[in-house]
Amino acid sequence: MTSAVSTATNDPKTARTREELLGIYKLMVFSRVLDRAVGEYDGHWHGCEGEEAIVAGAYFGLRPSDVLAPHYRGGPAAAYAKGADLYCLLAGLLGKHDGYFRGRHRVDICGPPELNLIGLYSGSLGPPLGYATGSALAMKLDQRDDVAVAVFGDGVSSRGDCHEAMNLASVQQLPVLFICQNNAYAISTELSAGVGGAIAERGAGYGMPGIAVDGNDVLAVYEAVQSAIERARAGQGPSLIEAVSYRVAGHFYSDQEDYRDPDIVERWRARDPIELFHTYLLANCIAPEPALQDFRQEIEAEVEMAMARAIAAAPPDPSNLDAHAVFAE
Amino acid sequence: MARMTFQQACVNAIATTMRIDNDVFIMGEDIGPFGGPLRSTAGLWEEFGEGGRVIDMPISEGTIVGAAVGAAMQGKRPIVDLMFLEFLGLTMQQFLDAGAMHYYSNGAIKIPLVVRAKYGIGPFPGHAYDFHSWLVSTPGVKVVAPSTPTAAYGLMLAAIRDNNPVLFLEHMGLYHAGREEIDLDAVKGMLLGKAAIRQEGTDVTIVASAMMVKRALKAANELEEQGISVEVVDLQTIVPMDEEVILESAQKTGRLVVATESIKTGNSGNDVVALVASERFDAMKAPIKCVNPPPIPVPFHRDLEKAYLPDADAIADAVRSIMA
Repeated sequence: MTSAVSTATNDPKTARTREELLGIYKLMVFSRVLDRAVGEYDGHWHGCEGEEAIVAGAYFGLRPSDVLAPHYRGGPAAAYAKGADLYCLLAGLLGKHDGYFRGRHRVDICGPPELNLIGLYSGSLGPPLGYATGSALAMKLDQRDDVAVAVFGDGVSSRGDCHEAMNLASVQQLPVLFICQNNAYAISTELSAGVGGAIAERGAGYGMPGIAVDGNDVLAVYEAVQSAIERARAGQGPSLIEAVSYRVAGHFYSDQEDYRDPDIVERWRARDPIELFHTYLLANCIAPEPALQDFRQEIEAEVEMAMARAIAAAPPDPSNLDAHAVFAE
Repeated sequence: MARMTFQQACVNAIATTMRIDNDVFIMGEDIGPFGGPLRSTAGLWEEFGEGGRVIDMPISEGTIVGAAVGAAMQGKRPIVDLMFLEFLGLTMQQFLDAGAMHYYSNGAIKIPLVVRAKYGIGPFPGHAYDFHSWLVSTPGVKVVAPSTPTAAYGLMLAAIRDNNPVLFLEHMGLYHAGREEIDLDAVKGMLLGKAAIRQEGTDVTIVASAMMVKRALKAANELEEQGISVEVVDLQTIVPMDEEVILESAQKTGRLVVATESIKTGNSGNDVVALVASERFDAMKAPIKCVNPPPIPVPFHRDLEKAYLPDADAIADAVRSIMA
């Protein structure tokens, strides 16, 4: 793990409710199930396998009025966590008329803005950190106690956008969380070739708390995120959380992955975050095995049904691109 | 009625809007107690600073515009003082995204954003080059270039009112170049996307914007004495372009000269040429002429700078060349 200013424990021992814990578990499972369903259908899908602890730990429990700019890897699960309709999400992933954006834009990289989601509006990563920071500025101006959450990969941590957004958030003491979903790879570039120094330690440089957590331990991520959210809502400014994990998936589903050692991938696969949390829930008597199995089957059935419906859905109508709609009235 | 310079017109239009709409705020580098580069925000800090609506920013142009986009997504109506148009390149990604949001989201997102930028050859050294053409092929973004204090006032009101990202060009050669009596009520109804006919004529149409309108009018006077009647069309809004006024004027005169302050390749003025060539080819009595600086960066020394930018004589020469 990356060295850090402070380290969260793996067992937070905080009083999280059963409902909360199971909600987090379901979101992790949802992310995995969705991932496989879409990945089987589309070889270019950016899978999130092995990073579900960050997805669920960061995205569970936000308010509708909180703003979320998720990493694209796990973006659809973020939209689901914010209340997106599963069918519209899947139809949107396939560009269908019924889906979010009605085929005009990619739902895999951009969630519906109606739910206060900020996605990529071009193929360029980085600017959403600025958009999330600006949303937090609006919250400050309007004296709201909402927060903005910006999640980015270790790759984007090298972007100037990352520096500018964190610096601005610090200068203005904005209610924004910067969460680095460090999966050790930017496409084929490994962390050591892409990032100099420890990302979490940058927090100190910007005058905000910087913490590294085990990104395969969903409760470690969740506790760190919740405490940063509390700070932000209380007007104590931004925080940086580096959730350290590993991209078990390829950059995209059919990635040949000849740039890395399969043994390392397998070692990380053995630390599967869903299995770890599953074991935790059983060990702490949060839910019995059959109940967890039922959750999984329910989610699989739901996703399967929605996916079949999305595949069968009508494509958008190409006869009218509605060009005048590029400008707002 | 009020007498104002171009700079005062910009600031007054902003202040007027900020007084009636709490969602309007302005951010940029050195716009607080300093009063903005070239006094571009003079007085705003004193009136609105305490309310937190005049926000000094770190030197992070991309993220200043990005933060404005994010604030607009939350219902605010931000104005960014970008300082100089030279920094436009640092903000292109944010403009590209902001311009796409309304269409991609099927109308769910509106980005009412004004980005002000100073440029143009004038009394100040540096920061002169007119880079706006970089931005004009970005869908969903408007570009405004006023030529007078009155237009600056009216178009600033319109730009802040507009629900789209707008690049608002403030020419440094016009900025402090004399006051004009502005009918404040009359300009309230000004809209983006409308050209103005600055002078009516029958023999040739000159299309220009900002500083080049001034030079075109000077050329028109000179040509008038030589018996050539010139119509001067001031674009005012470069995107979306007022095609109707341009085409009507070209139809009437049958001759067209397009005068711009940036080099010919990739210049937004070429869209005027393309429009008239494709829609009014049969009405044209002569080839269409462009008047542009040579394809070099703006040189430093005053004499070189003067030689670089086409003056009224250069525009008049272009007109005479198609009058034979």
